[in-house]
Amino acid sequence: MLAVKHMSPAPPLHCSFSAPIQTLKPTLTLPLIPFLKKDKFRFRCELTSFGKPQKWAVEFDSTTIPNPRPVLMASTATLTSSPRNAKKVCLFYCAETKALAERIAAESDAIELRSITWRTFEDGFPNLFISNAQGIRGQHVAFLASFSSPGVIFEQLSVIYALPKLFISSFTLVLPFFPTGTSERMEEEGDIATAFTLARILSNIPISRGGPTSLVTFDIHALQERFYFGDNILPCFDSGIPLLKARLQQLPDSDNISIAFPDDGAWKRFHKQLQHFPTIVCAKVREGNQRIVRIKEGDPKGRHVVIVDDLVQSGGTLIECQKVLASHGAAKISAYVTHGIFPNRSWQRFGEDKGGCPANGLTYFWITDSCPLTVKEVKNKPPFEVLSLARSIAATLQI
Amino acid sequence: MEEGVLRVMEKPNEKQILLFYCMESEDLARKVAEQSPLIQLQSINWRSFDDGFPNLFINNAQYIRGQHVAFLASFSSPAVIFEQLSVIFALPRLFVASFTLVLPFFPTGSFERMEEEGDVATAFTMARILSNIPISRGGPTSLVIYDIHALQERFYFSDHVLPLFETGIPLLKQRLHQLPDTDNVVVAFPDDGAWKRFHKLLDHFPMVVCAKVREGNKRIVRLKEGNPAGCHVVIVDDLVQSGGTLIECQKVLAAHGASKVSAYVTHSVFPKRSWERFIHKNDGSEKAFTYFWTTDSCPLTVKAIGNRAPFEILSLAGSIAEALQI
Repeated sequence: MLAVKHMSPAPPLHCSFSAPIQTLKPTLTLPLIPFLKKDKFRFRCELTSFGKPQKWAVEFDSTTIPNPRPVLMASTATLTSSPRNAKKVCLFYCAETKALAERIAAESDAIELRSITWRTFEDGFPNLFISNAQGIRGQHVAFLASFSSPGVIFEQLSVIYALPKLFISSFTLVLPFFPTGTSERMEEEGDIATAFTLARILSNIPISRGGPTSLVTFDIHALQERFYFGDNILPCFDSGIPLLKARLQQLPDSDNISIAFPDDGAWKRFHKQLQHFPTIVCAKVREGNQRIVRIKEGDPKGRHVVIVDDLVQSGGTLIECQKVLASHGAAKISAYVTHGIFPNRSWQRFGEDKGGCPANGLTYFWITDSCPLTVKEVKNKPPFEVLSLARSIAATLQI
Repeated sequence: MEEGVLRVMEKPNEKQILLFYCMESEDLARKVAEQSPLIQLQSINWRSFDDGFPNLFINNAQYIRGQHVAFLASFSSPAVIFEQLSVIFALPRLFVASFTLVLPFFPTGSFERMEEEGDVATAFTMARILSNIPISRGGPTSLVIYDIHALQERFYFSDHVLPLFETGIPLLKQRLHQLPDTDNVVVAFPDDGAWKRFHKLLDHFPMVVCAKVREGNKRIVRLKEGNPAGCHVVIVDDLVQSGGTLIECQKVLAAHGASKVSAYVTHSVFPKRSWERFIHKNDGSEKAFTYFWTTDSCPLTVKAIGNRAPFEILSLAGSIAEALQI
């Protein structure tokens, strides 16, 4: 007999499984969360008797209650982490991030998408409604934001400020790309560091029952920015580099890869994560009025060089690096940036090198899906390849 | 004419104010500076990076140390908030003696309650953002707002800002006293909300109160109290959006015998050029509104309307210049 313990409101159900399940003597290790799927109750349970946790979906036809007949569905993909610790997360998102949100939810059964009605009043100010607000009480809630331009900040901020106060058990803001990150210092009095403005705004997110909001962001531009945030927010700085490393290992010439950093800043940010690759460091040097890119250390000759940086704007720096590396004998050149900002369609300057001409084109240009508007434009356009942050975000939501 | 000129005794400690402003508010800022030699305009470089995010520079930042500083803001759309906010968050930390934010029109003000769980009250978001302005050597930032939509909104702000709620009604009263038929003026409120907000400031005028009443599926405006017959009725409210409510009120008042109908709103939001339906046409057709008074709290609208009848702009400049001395 399988005693099924689950969350209210349904009463406990007792049901018997026919062989072979009976012989396995499954034990339940999770409180089950039933959710209605039309006329059926669907339970997910974990069978641990054989040491390797497996998730099965069990569907009960409620028309046969009080003796429901369970039908075992195919096992869902095993999670690498023990489902014992999986916390269910309600994931909200904005229009721009819908595709990424769907990918994140596909990574884990514990993540459920939720919706918001995004409308505008005639005067341009947002008219927002959080559907089923009472349903998120006591739940872990996350919001997947994207501040692609100043104009979309206010509407997302209104939701971000409202969610923590709806009696949720914790709140996580996932902001894969933190814009303004490059405007983070005052070189002279009068400079305005807009990164400080944005950090301040985010630091003011109300705390929830779970304490301070967790803020997940990838490859923030300046490492000092972590200190711009107040104590009511817990920044969690993640990186897209593991995605790059995994991709590089799949390449046929994976043992001929060298990593190039366009400047010392990039080297500081990333060299520790890429230590096992030979390294080339470039630098911008002043020659008269001009600034030109030179190779400071390392040798690209005959190598497949991958230029790595946190973000790309117009691409000018990358292109100059590419030229210098090509003129020093690089066999192939690729690029990786976590954030493909590419204002004014500047991605169009990057052509594909189909072989032998690294000065004029790249073999690969990897970006993540942190900037959804760009992803839409470069999808399926070589040399661009999009590496998705979905799995990384799904894992971070479990923290 | 010498008689009747009052000499204002100059207080020994009247403050010199350095006034910064956003691009939209330049005209109003200039008018404010003209009100007093103590108010001096300062400038900011407003540029954008290619990615759309602001690239800002406060000119002569060291000069403002030890000075009273103010910023004249205008949040006409969500898109302009971030750039102005960056300046607003930066100025108090430049060793100024005090900081005042003048935001004549507080947008989102009409979205300030949750009627059902799931509603997002954007007025709360806005108040929260403004409450987060850093304090300066002069203590909490003073926040000057005209005719905020809901009186409860004063409590949405934290202790780090000192909201100063002003009103444009004195400008209206002054204008009404100048009218030739000033003795025949009756003030009308389009709903109880407007009456609550303004009746105390206008209690020496006879009053009419309207109400929106449900009849089947429709909502129509009715006269609730007062008698407009034979009078010059001035409808008073804090703001106008598309103008639908005002037009319906005007019809009801005219039907009840008002000889002339005018309107006053502090804030002319008028999205999508909806003010055009009020413009007097030169084709001899009947003029619904004799006057339409509004302030310059919404600079983009005011610029678009210009001088066209029946609109008359009553400037907040004098009132703002005085508020800066508080």
